[in-house]
Amino acid sequence: MDAVEKANTARQQQWIKDRKVGEGTYAVVYQGREASTKRKIAVKKIKVGQFKDGLDMSAIREVKYLRELKHQNVIELLDVFSSKTNLNLVLEFLDSDLEMIIKDRSLVFLPADIKSWMAMTFRGLEFCHRNWILHRDLKPNNLLIASDGQLKLADFGLARDFADPGYKMTCQVITRWYRPPELLFGCRYYGTAVDIWSVGCIFAELMLRIPYLPGESDMDQLKTIFRALGTPTEDDWPGHTKLPDYVPVGQFPKPPMRDLFTAATADTLNLLSKCLIYEPRKRISALEALSHPYFFALPYPTHPSKLPKCSTVVNKPLDEVDANVDMNSSGPGVKATSKGLKRKLTSPTEAKARSIARRLDFSKAPPSSP
Amino acid sequence: MSTGLVASSENTESKDPQQRQPLYEASTQFRNWRFSSEGLAQIREKLNEAAVAAIRNTFEVDQPGSSANVAFLHANEEVTLVKLYLTKIPQLCAMFRFPEEVEATAISYLKRFYLKNTVMDWHPKNVMLTALFLATKTTNNPISLETYTAHIPKTAPSDVLDLEFLVAQSLNFEFTVWHAHRALWGIWLDLQSLPDVDQNLSPSIHDTALNHIRASRLTDAELIYTPSQIALAAFTLAAPDLALKWAQSKLLPNVTSSQLSLDTISPVLELIKSMILNEGHAPDVEAVREVDRRLRICKNPEKVVGSKAYLAKQAEEERKAEEKRHKKVLEMQKGQSDPFGDEIQGTSLVDYDDDDD
Repeated sequence: MDAVEKANTARQQQWIKDRKVGEGTYAVVYQGREASTKRKIAVKKIKVGQFKDGLDMSAIREVKYLRELKHQNVIELLDVFSSKTNLNLVLEFLDSDLEMIIKDRSLVFLPADIKSWMAMTFRGLEFCHRNWILHRDLKPNNLLIASDGQLKLADFGLARDFADPGYKMTCQVITRWYRPPELLFGCRYYGTAVDIWSVGCIFAELMLRIPYLPGESDMDQLKTIFRALGTPTEDDWPGHTKLPDYVPVGQFPKPPMRDLFTAATADTLNLLSKCLIYEPRKRISALEALSHPYFFALPYPTHPSKLPKCSTVVNKPLDEVDANVDMNSSGPGVKATSKGLKRKLTSPTEAKARSIARRLDFSKAPPSSP
Repeated sequence: MSTGLVASSENTESKDPQQRQPLYEASTQFRNWRFSSEGLAQIREKLNEAAVAAIRNTFEVDQPGSSANVAFLHANEEVTLVKLYLTKIPQLCAMFRFPEEVEATAISYLKRFYLKNTVMDWHPKNVMLTALFLATKTTNNPISLETYTAHIPKTAPSDVLDLEFLVAQSLNFEFTVWHAHRALWGIWLDLQSLPDVDQNLSPSIHDTALNHIRASRLTDAELIYTPSQIALAAFTLAAPDLALKWAQSKLLPNVTSSQLSLDTISPVLELIKSMILNEGHAPDVEAVREVDRRLRICKNPEKVVGSKAYLAKQAEEERKAEEKRHKKVLEMQKGQSDPFGDEIQGTSLVDYDDDDD
């Protein structure tokens, strides 16, 4: 056996899969243990065999970035190994996500809890941005929660690095409700501000306990944003009418944020509004956000271990497994459907049937634009 | 862009705990793909010895005495052969009009691959094609496999795909590579904001330095030095005065004895410069041809499709897989005799598509 193969087998033997906790079109997730320490882990097994271009972009991105990023608020990729035509990612085990917590009606959030989640989100994001990595798919169910309460950015299937301004990128990223207006207008040159908008939407959602800007289509998304934050003027956002996909969607006045967020403090609303500034260059950065007065005012953030937790142990939603690969889409593998439309696999038999049906569809996405 | 400058492979000085770790030092490149030149030589020697021993054994199993007259390749001959294929990558990239990053990444992948594998097992011709295809994806410049192989003579999609896992594994799935040409761009941008530098810098200076960096890709430089060290050496070759000015601007503020000074960098730059000038060119074609001729005889028969050794290995693997499946079926049957087993019958506990190995 080759040395490389041997090393691969040795790695494989360090990890034990206990049970399947989710299955999607292109991946299966197992809960398991590290053989030597019994530490709980998750194994995401990606079926590569069915991609005719080999390892797919989503898996490559996830492995590429998680291999480099080590931070308390970023999910840890413990190991990678292959088995036949499968790629296995060994990840730290995280039992819930922020979406589950937001939706759990039995939980009450204190302002200090929200502050704690926001601090952890900004810390993880600041680390990504400092490493020149854009996440491009921040939303509550990509913010996973460890058993000690630590929040971790996960799912780097749409991430990319950035460096030079003027490098064209795709605007078909970020799940719609969390997508900033510049991307909805087809902007192909952007930076860290796109992730900040998403964090702003998550911030609002933590206070409202329902999605803040739930557009029903890309066009409706713009309308929803403008209804909530007012239609931007040329002063608010110079040049936005010149963006490639700009369309006027109507004039809406800017209602005071206070009307919706009745209980929020002035610092809270100030940070929220700075995340949701139309002009991307004026939007707050993750680093600046971390030193915003909001984080230094009373009440102080709740210690992670004291944060509200989901009471019931729920398996991770199965559709999570698929990450962002939608093999039927023509775009660069974006899953930006609204949550109501997401597939929920109801029974194992149905899962199987669907997975086979999906596999028979070989419509192949063209090479995605950089 | 200067962050990596202080991080030479010999650098062991204790760090100020107050100081944040430079980004480059957290990279997999810094942690896992940095060697001394002696270390590199040793790795290659060991790899070569182990490969020769294994292949010799395979020959002997097939027919005792058959390995006696085989002239196996030496480690340095392997390096020469790989180097020839390093020079093919820029040619292919030019044809496809791939960006510089794809080219540089593919070259790094090919070099890293042969720190874990021998050419006697895997011929660099095929590995090179796979490394390049993988690099297009990891640098976010993907093209379809069909388009890729259609433009390369005598290459089927499977030739590229069959090795993809092996290449990715050999790279330890560490796809991020930091490149000297990016560091050079940083130096170039910095220069334009230095107070005493003429604003009308001739772009030819950058291009000349870039050509030196391209030459450095044919050497071991990137496995020994940091991208910014290589970039500064290349820039020094192109414009020594400007390079000095830039270095001074980076090093001047509060130089203490424990910190980096020009005196500590200069010898490193000299080593890189001579490496670029002496080794940064294609190998002699005749010499490579000779190596390749011998490789035809000494390559691992287990990797030659259809050979006796290949078939034997296949049979052995098939037998093991069969054993495993059998074990799994037994386990499943045990599970079904469980009083709670009946409920899950029909949803098939054993999924052959899904074996967890």
